[in-house]
Amino acid sequence: MNALKLTILLIVVSAAAILAADVQITPITLEAAKEQGRAKSRFFKETKAPIDGTNAIPKANVAYFQKSVMPILKKSCINCHGPKKSEGRLRIDQLNPDLLTGPDVEQWREIYNALSNSEMPPPDELSYALANTDRGGMVDWLSEELNKASLIRRNTKEHSSFRRMTKYEYDYALQDLLGLPHSLANKLPPESVTEDGFKNSSELLQISSMQFEAYRDIALKALKRATVNVGARPEAVTYIISMKQEMEKAAAIKDTKEAAKGKKNPRNLKNQQHLLDQQTNESLPFPEVKFAPKANAVAGQTPPVSPVVLVLPSSSELKLDLDRFLPDEGIMRVRIRAGRSTMNPNEYSSLRLMLSAHTSNDANFSQVISQRDIPVTAPATNPQFIHFDIPLSDIQRNPFRKLATTYPRRDEFLHIQNISNASKGDERLHVLIDTIEISAPFYEQWPPKTHTNIFVESANKGNDEVYGREVLNRFLRNAWRRPITSQEVDQFMVLFAKYRPGFSTFEDAMVEVLATALAAPDFLYLTQRVPTDKTKPASISELELASRLSIFLWSSIPDDELLKLAEQGTLRKPEVLSGQVKRMLLDPRSRRFSQNFVEQWLGLDGLNSVTHIPEPLKDAIYEEPIAFFEEVLKQNRSIMDFIHSDYAVVNEKLAAHYGIAKVYGPHFRKVPITAQTNRGGILTGAAILAMNSDGHDSNPLKRGVWMLKRVLNDPPPPPPPNVPEVDLTNPEILKMTLKERIADHRNKAACISCHAKIDPWGIAFENYDAFGVFRTSIKNKPVDATSELLNHQTLNGVDGVKRYLLTDRQDQFSRAMAHKLTAYALGRPLSFGDRADIDSLTAQLRKHDDKLGDLISLIISSNLFNSN
Amino acid sequence: MSKKSELLSRRTYLQGTGISLALPWFETFAVGKPRTDETPKRFVSIYHPDGVGLPLKNDPAWTDWSWFPRGRDKDFQLTKVLDVLEPLRGDITIYSGLSHPVARKVHGHSNADQYLTGAPIGGHGPYKNTISLDQAYAETIDSFTRHSSLVMSTNGGVGGPRGAQTQSFNREGRPVPALNKPKQIFDMLFVTSGKDAAGRLARSKSALDLLIENTRSLERQLSKRDQETLNQYLHAVRDTELKLVKAQKWIDTPTPKVDTRNLHLDADPKEARLYFQTMYELIYLAFLSDSTRVATFQLGRENGGGPHDLLSRAVGLGDAHHLTHEVKKPGGWKNLGTYNRYQAEEFGRFVQKLKDTQEPNGKGNMLDNTFAMHGSASSSFHLSRNYPIISAGGKNLGFNNGRYLKFGKGNEDNQAGAGIDTDAGWQGKVEVEELPLSKLFVTILQRLGVETNSFGGITGSLTL
Repeated sequence: MNALKLTILLIVVSAAAILAADVQITPITLEAAKEQGRAKSRFFKETKAPIDGTNAIPKANVAYFQKSVMPILKKSCINCHGPKKSEGRLRIDQLNPDLLTGPDVEQWREIYNALSNSEMPPPDELSYALANTDRGGMVDWLSEELNKASLIRRNTKEHSSFRRMTKYEYDYALQDLLGLPHSLANKLPPESVTEDGFKNSSELLQISSMQFEAYRDIALKALKRATVNVGARPEAVTYIISMKQEMEKAAAIKDTKEAAKGKKNPRNLKNQQHLLDQQTNESLPFPEVKFAPKANAVAGQTPPVSPVVLVLPSSSELKLDLDRFLPDEGIMRVRIRAGRSTMNPNEYSSLRLMLSAHTSNDANFSQVISQRDIPVTAPATNPQFIHFDIPLSDIQRNPFRKLATTYPRRDEFLHIQNISNASKGDERLHVLIDTIEISAPFYEQWPPKTHTNIFVESANKGNDEVYGREVLNRFLRNAWRRPITSQEVDQFMVLFAKYRPGFSTFEDAMVEVLATALAAPDFLYLTQRVPTDKTKPASISELELASRLSIFLWSSIPDDELLKLAEQGTLRKPEVLSGQVKRMLLDPRSRRFSQNFVEQWLGLDGLNSVTHIPEPLKDAIYEEPIAFFEEVLKQNRSIMDFIHSDYAVVNEKLAAHYGIAKVYGPHFRKVPITAQTNRGGILTGAAILAMNSDGHDSNPLKRGVWMLKRVLNDPPPPPPPNVPEVDLTNPEILKMTLKERIADHRNKAACISCHAKIDPWGIAFENYDAFGVFRTSIKNKPVDATSELLNHQTLNGVDGVKRYLLTDRQDQFSRAMAHKLTAYALGRPLSFGDRADIDSLTAQLRKHDDKLGDLISLIISSNLFNSN
Repeated sequence: MSKKSELLSRRTYLQGTGISLALPWFETFAVGKPRTDETPKRFVSIYHPDGVGLPLKNDPAWTDWSWFPRGRDKDFQLTKVLDVLEPLRGDITIYSGLSHPVARKVHGHSNADQYLTGAPIGGHGPYKNTISLDQAYAETIDSFTRHSSLVMSTNGGVGGPRGAQTQSFNREGRPVPALNKPKQIFDMLFVTSGKDAAGRLARSKSALDLLIENTRSLERQLSKRDQETLNQYLHAVRDTELKLVKAQKWIDTPTPKVDTRNLHLDADPKEARLYFQTMYELIYLAFLSDSTRVATFQLGRENGGGPHDLLSRAVGLGDAHHLTHEVKKPGGWKNLGTYNRYQAEEFGRFVQKLKDTQEPNGKGNMLDNTFAMHGSASSSFHLSRNYPIISAGGKNLGFNNGRYLKFGKGNEDNQAGAGIDTDAGWQGKVEVEELPLSKLFVTILQRLGVETNSFGGITGSLTL
């Protein structure tokens, strides 16, 4: 009863508060907040000369501390952080004020954070309140001392970006080097993740013998796939399925059936796949027959368009029984000539391939084998071929296909599926197919390009010694990303000479030798050699810069153009470098950067353990922040768009989830949104909200931790050991709302200090449920998404969070972005020693209007990126 | 340190990422350290498809032909199905009430795949398996024997997804192909010269030499700190070299000479008795010569087909899979029971032989150092519950035999999987409480000397 009264009271009070707010002033728009917050940046006010590595060694300013800082500390801090009480186990009186040589830099940094965010002294402790000038003086002193200390550290403590490639980098490198379009590195174990979520951090990239052996196996397998036994081109197995002929078969089957039954059995074929003769308008179901390859068939032909087509309505599939003739290896090319029955731009149809087999009664398996759905865009009046290339040895095949006996079933089924948003109705979009061709092994040319890239055309072919050196020179240079010395080639030729007698062909032996080169540290590691000229500053070489660039922007090794520029020694010229960065970002490979950086920055792996969201929606949710980042990057927009934007980047699936109308098709695009959409930026993306939930409801704690770690780069201290768990068997606790439960937990002494810092951020997101859907009530109670930060800042829901971040925390967020991107670019965790560099990067970023594209360029031309 | 890792795990939990995956991988794959005790610890698993006969209590066949014994613990009576094991009563343990929770509603035809893995493979769609019990043990003792494991089945190969013809799956969840021809198995164990292997090994050695040389020259050009990082690579190469040395040792060691009197290397499953006995004899000889310490043998595949179905000819009956579908015909329970009895008889013969052989280089007899398991992943009617499992031996590993252990609740009489008496019942509601079989697997791994507290997604062991 009491609880009920309290609730009513709360509703009345909050309603009153809303009314009052409405009456007072309409808050400024978020766009205006962006402007207002920007004007406050301390990075525009810095007048002091930037601290530079070439300046004289800085000294600690202890005198200022004694004169001006100590008195304030005594007055406002030491009562709680001194000999009487040592709150937070901090005793300021015992700290060494020399930050440059003393041991207490980390504590001073904490103090700096607490002071500059106005978290300390506690705002309710009026007797300890700090005058603004006092606070400013201390913050300035600390900031300067910390910067100097950072500089000192930098010259004493060594950081390194020397590391092996990550699993995904290795995979891309191998694909790019050999020209193979398919993933090869599944055999490698997943990478560990650092505290900030990075997988490419030098500290964690270990190597074991098992992994070393996996590298050797993978390399050999990849090389064997890239090369062929030169000689006669292998005979391909080719199926040609012409709908005209299938119609004839279907008619024959129908006749027999009708003869047997003595009556017609018309079926409604409207929503299922069926054959249609567009001239006679006759339709029949696709015949259930086994297909066999056509002898002497030539793949890649373009027969005249036939009026007889297969009609594939949305969400239907054609299942082809290919019997057991597909070869074990090689690429299977599936060519489908298809067109759209209608051209309504709001409807789309894509094709997807699946392979299945029955391995037992009551058991089968099926697997999507196409990497991505391919849209059908041509009109049915002018159908066009689309094709899929499937590596047969990489997909799950029917292992019984070679049995001499007929049991278990030996056939393999190819499914062609129409993935579409077409609505029901007579005029809806179908895919019409008149011919299908399946051919394997398929080669674009013979010998394939992947082969001639390694075994190049040469007049010296036939002279094993001379030609061997040619092959090695070229291959090693591309794989090791540097010119190769003749001694190095010698070493490999010695190995080749040992191998050669064991193999029947030059190529077979050489492939084994090349596999060894791909297990060498020169391939696996991102090297940074110490310059022989010790007088110069330790910056990386142009070649190393080329690799660092390509790993950063392509997650892979440099291409020929980058290598050539580095070999010529011109890559570092500013105009060349900026031209290359531009080229690299325009290249499709830069998509890997957006994907890998965003996944790691935001911790999207967390979505993999989410089970409450169905698959197609989950894919869209996962993709959104990556597509959003790409949009900001490609348009060189401000990183403040990550906090809030007046647009969303969505596809049809996600738009429906967000209630944004009129977005059609599976591709992501930028669409304008209004405040009523309750989206914009990445904080309200369903990915973030869903993975920081518990599967049923929001989890404000996870959301708060996520904000602090990922967005503000101010990770909360880890929970202390032995914290009491929330006792869910306690009926009193079960009765509480989530917010009340959290408040209850927070009020325990052991928890309060951290939770006061974390929870308010998460509670402000309470308007979003575990699916990231906006809500205004929870279990018939209105959502209460107001919270108060430690510095007494009130956050009024997500809008309040955005407004506060944009008005007061822009510097912190831009510094966080600079920090995260730099850590990713360098492949190592940043430490205290990098502080001065990050500050200077942030200052430049702010002066460049916070543009993401500019930030990338600034990082690439920074000292950090160019030094060892 | 312990404080830090505790904090880390909480963080990880909050974050919901897969951070915990990576580290154990390295640990698991660490090169095995030589053991101090030299007595081999062995594991063998025999799998038979189709489950066993479990007539309902009100069926006249129940008294004689229900597979599970009467009574419990030390006080149990074998029915006619298992009475052939009476002479070995003190050396065996029979288990009821165990199954893999993720498979309880999957049709038995799909289930051989997950018997030793406990993976949630389901009945259709995409397929992913995980490491099997035998391989999880084998990878820890890889370097002690010439072969890390001996994987056999009557049908051979890997079968298909949800139609496995092997019990063994590697760390990546891929099936380990089974051998099915006695001659081939014999040659691999006791004849093969290893010429190919020697060539491969020589090439690997040269490659490693080159890589070490190359790494050394890179090392000279790196900073001190980076040299330390590169050192890890060198260690990895060195560890690989050590493995090669071990492999070389096996190539240089002549294959053991064994007594071939009981082998019929041309035997075919059609000559069921000869084939059965030869395959068991090969496991026995492989163990005796310490060529391997791990073996699996699958008697055919689920859903019949192929040589397995012929094994029932040993007792003059028709195809084995059909026996399970004909239990309600006159004499049906007896026929299935008779075939199950024959399976037990052959297993018993193998167990007896291990018992009668002194451990060549250690304490006790061979059975004392071997955990031998015999079972199926369904009870009756392809119901994936209440797996019928017998184990034998393992006294020196800590197993106490001579018992019938009943786990779970609600099916004390072992009514064909909780009262189901038709093939249509396989998807039925799980009303009977059973324990995860993986708990037994954890116990087995622990007693074989593998430090682990979980298997197949299940944490904890059984108190036996």
